[in-house]
Amino acid sequence: MTAIRSTGYVVLVAFGLSTGSSATVAGAEESLLERDVLPILTKNCLGCHGGLKQEGGLDLRTMPSMLKGGESGPAIEKGHADRSELWKQIASDNMPSGDDREKLSAIDKGKIKAWIDAGMPTVSERQKDVDTLLSGPKRHEPKQVAEAVDQHIGGFLEAAGLKSVGLSDDAAFLRRVSLDLSGRVPTAEEAAKYLDDKDPDRRAKLIDSLLARPDFGRQFGRTWRDWICPPELPSGGNAGSQPYGQARALGDWIGKKLTEGGSWAEIAREILTVKGEIKKNPQVIFYALVGKNGKTTADGTSRAVASLFMGVQLQCARCHDDPYRDWSQREHWGLAAFFGRSQGDFNKIEVGKGASKKPGEISIPGSAFKNSGQTVKAAFLRGAEYEVKGTDDLRPPFADWLTARNNPFFARSLVNRVWFYLFARGIVNPIDDFRDLNPPSHPGLIKMLAGEFVASDFDVKHLFRCLCNSQAYQRTSRFAPGADQQARSALTTAFGRMPMRLMAADVLFDSLKRAYGDEKLDLRTGVTDSTVGMAAPVGDAWLEFQRRFGINENDATDFTHGVAQMLTMINHPRLQQRSKALDAFQKTAPDAGVDRTVEWLYLSTLSRRPGPEEASEAREFVEGAKDVNKAYDGVLWMLVNRSEFLLIR
Amino acid sequence: MRSHETKLKRRDLLKLSAAGLVSGVSVPWFESLAGKAVGQPRKKSCILLWMDGGPSQQHTFDPKPKGEFSPKPTSVPGIHIVEHLPQLAQSMEDLVLVRSMTTEINGHYDAKYFLHTGYKRTTAFEHPSVGCIASSQVSHAGDEMPAFVTIDAGFDRNDGGRLYRNVPGYLGPSHAPLLVNDPNEGLENLASTGSNVEARLKLLARSEDRFAKQFATPVVGAKQAAFNRAVRLMRSRRSKAFDVDEEPESLRQAYGKHKFGRSCLLARRLIEAGVSFVEVVHRGWDDHAGAAKPIAYRAPWMDAGMATLIADLKVRGMLDDTLVIWMGEFGRTPGDGNGHFSKAWSTMWAGGGLKTGQVIGKTSEGKNAGSEIAERPVTSPDFIATLCLALGMDTHKEFMAPGNRPMPMVDKVAKPITEMLG
Repeated sequence: MTAIRSTGYVVLVAFGLSTGSSATVAGAEESLLERDVLPILTKNCLGCHGGLKQEGGLDLRTMPSMLKGGESGPAIEKGHADRSELWKQIASDNMPSGDDREKLSAIDKGKIKAWIDAGMPTVSERQKDVDTLLSGPKRHEPKQVAEAVDQHIGGFLEAAGLKSVGLSDDAAFLRRVSLDLSGRVPTAEEAAKYLDDKDPDRRAKLIDSLLARPDFGRQFGRTWRDWICPPELPSGGNAGSQPYGQARALGDWIGKKLTEGGSWAEIAREILTVKGEIKKNPQVIFYALVGKNGKTTADGTSRAVASLFMGVQLQCARCHDDPYRDWSQREHWGLAAFFGRSQGDFNKIEVGKGASKKPGEISIPGSAFKNSGQTVKAAFLRGAEYEVKGTDDLRPPFADWLTARNNPFFARSLVNRVWFYLFARGIVNPIDDFRDLNPPSHPGLIKMLAGEFVASDFDVKHLFRCLCNSQAYQRTSRFAPGADQQARSALTTAFGRMPMRLMAADVLFDSLKRAYGDEKLDLRTGVTDSTVGMAAPVGDAWLEFQRRFGINENDATDFTHGVAQMLTMINHPRLQQRSKALDAFQKTAPDAGVDRTVEWLYLSTLSRRPGPEEASEAREFVEGAKDVNKAYDGVLWMLVNRSEFLLIR
Repeated sequence: MRSHETKLKRRDLLKLSAAGLVSGVSVPWFESLAGKAVGQPRKKSCILLWMDGGPSQQHTFDPKPKGEFSPKPTSVPGIHIVEHLPQLAQSMEDLVLVRSMTTEINGHYDAKYFLHTGYKRTTAFEHPSVGCIASSQVSHAGDEMPAFVTIDAGFDRNDGGRLYRNVPGYLGPSHAPLLVNDPNEGLENLASTGSNVEARLKLLARSEDRFAKQFATPVVGAKQAAFNRAVRLMRSRRSKAFDVDEEPESLRQAYGKHKFGRSCLLARRLIEAGVSFVEVVHRGWDDHAGAAKPIAYRAPWMDAGMATLIADLKVRGMLDDTLVIWMGEFGRTPGDGNGHFSKAWSTMWAGGGLKTGQVIGKTSEGKNAGSEIAERPVTSPDFIATLCLALGMDTHKEFMAPGNRPMPMVDKVAKPITEMLG
């Protein structure tokens, strides 16, 4: 029996019953008793079926009393909402009874039904102590870690009664891992070489070679740049004045550091303790990016550091205690106090001035709804107050605390972000919302990976190598035939199948550049006088593409492009013209016939050879055309407009 | 006073026949849509005319006797607007002036956000703009035409802060607007420039069908749906609505050659073709060096564009279903209009089945005229609630924001201006 630590419903006690036999699935669709169901019952039901009254003999406060039910029998049949009286009463709006009572919303009803159908899972059973398969202070071989990852995931799948899909074929794996680790499709030649490789170890070798290239650092750096500064940041304090050039430089800087062998702890420290001019220190822009109106702010830094480096969301606690996430306003400002004695803008960071009058103290400003004017002392999150010892700049001691091997937030936060990047969902979701009532879907897995990341001295490449070598990462995105929608979604959220993702803007742009052999590819339109147009400055081909082809930063499986983006792909003149890469291929292979040329086009876009039907359709298309070269342009256009091109399968 | 009926005044007829509009134009330009209009009632639509930077109320719709611009009688006895807007003055029976906007925020971007969403900007998440809400609630689902289009009507001067960008937020990306960057150019990439597009689309369709069978997942479905919407729009005869050059020269003249007038004309064509919400943005109203001179310069094209739009909608029988609103993110300081002023300012409404020919609210008279609201304050949530109700939406509806946080369409504190709703 576990008491639930929370503000709203401490009287309620949940019993950690063992998981039922029906599929328990982790994820956003999943409903957990303490997090999702109890708040609904408390608001709508417990007035009559709780401590004060138990109408019909029914008490909905605990799991056993729910299962026991009231005068008319059990209230719930585990795993079967449609056979449960509780669900029938709620679904029909019979309950809450009375015309004046507000009925449950469709969303709340959905949560209750999903919870019963999933066998009534609880947070407390998720929080049970878990054994991690690998532990200890030393780093392990990537293969060992990969195997342990698969055992963790396999155990979960088995408990949930799910069967994973098989591994992806070589072509799908090549394209996926190349896009993830180098940020663009492989060239036709690279693709052909890999597909013809018969070495049984070819996947591991491919991963090694991709990680060894500067492209890996570049892709990791720009992924972080987008996390720090999304291409569209309308709600950010800097709305509109985003210094994209400097943000790009920050991404490049992170990439370069990583390529040079810097650990994540070193990179984080160099970002957080930066001072001086941006010319020498590109990471200066971090503080202004997370600040307001081009200036650094202590509270903006506090929220960004919490989200990016610690995996927790403090944004609501700026103005009031956050009862939902259980962060107090003092905790938010206690963290902000570390950043109160440094100040800067797009050009520099200066130490010794800022929001704090005294080092280590900050006053809650008038713009907060509550407690404005109160002074808060610097304190580590969920830790002790910091005693100021003669230094003005408290960022170095904060960085010491953050990147210490035993810091509870730092390693797991990066691990979860990398997992999210590769699998399109975190082990904790949202990826920056670690807290007791929002448990990881695979607690042992994240604990193990965080431990391994610390043991490797925060070696990002090691983490990627471990994950990419796992079967979980190498699975196909195809479903076995016959599975119903619910089972498919369960399998995907349990990492038993690789979801299909939409390419990030950078990755798509670079892949188009490669397909068209044109590093200066420009998909802007002819309207140039609108330099401060409604969308934004239309200044630069890259920026314009970033803005238009951005993806949902919370869910890469969401297809965010609309009519405007599709019209660009269909009708932009540049995408109907020649590929310089194709020109080059035709020069080196002047007598390549239709079949070979079509194959080359497939390899350079989809990283695979055409199937028999595809080859014959393309041949028919080319041979039926008046101008063969124009027809090849048409085949290329067809390939980049395919779902298979825009998506990572 | 109501003027719900779309009966044309003699004055309108004269004006429009001079513009070559009346002969045979009680039929919309797109005939199959006319059929549609007979078959089913049109849903309500909205044209939002956004004067970015904050236009001066005393130099437009709330002139004061001792102000820089003189009040001039309109076609509705007792209601005066500035003398610089003679055509609009003659349309007063189709207008409602709300002179008591009071909206707290004096900074451009936060005010634009507040007046587009009805919520103040927070650090937690982005609220959807009213155009995106309309797209999600009152659009013709599955239509060839997009639900929400924004038109850039250009600028006089490059200031007024960062432009607001309509964000659908938690309503989902399908409710983002389609952008027209120049009303004279129409929609970018609408027409194919390459050869043989139908043969290429056919070649693509075969492989797409196979792929959808192999990988039956929502993301593939969503890609193919977006792609097909784009192709349908390309092929649709109604997409000609994006081309204002199809209108008779005389009518284009009446709307005015200025990009603003062109945008008004384009907006009408789009609404007629089935678009639910059009936002026209004209930039450069941040008149810190005094509002009199620049507004005297802008008034002729603004007057022509808006008055022709209202008359044109009326002739076509569309005015009762089409709400037109003119506004900015705030007004300007009483007197010369130098500063930002959110305390007491004006918006202009027309059509949409409103009880028109009236003024809502009042600003103070006498010394420092216009510095206070004298009657019936209207806040930003009140404003958005009224707009949503006028379009027939259920303002109590809740959406789910990130973090499973239910957000009502309109802030619960809103008190809509019921006295102007039909």
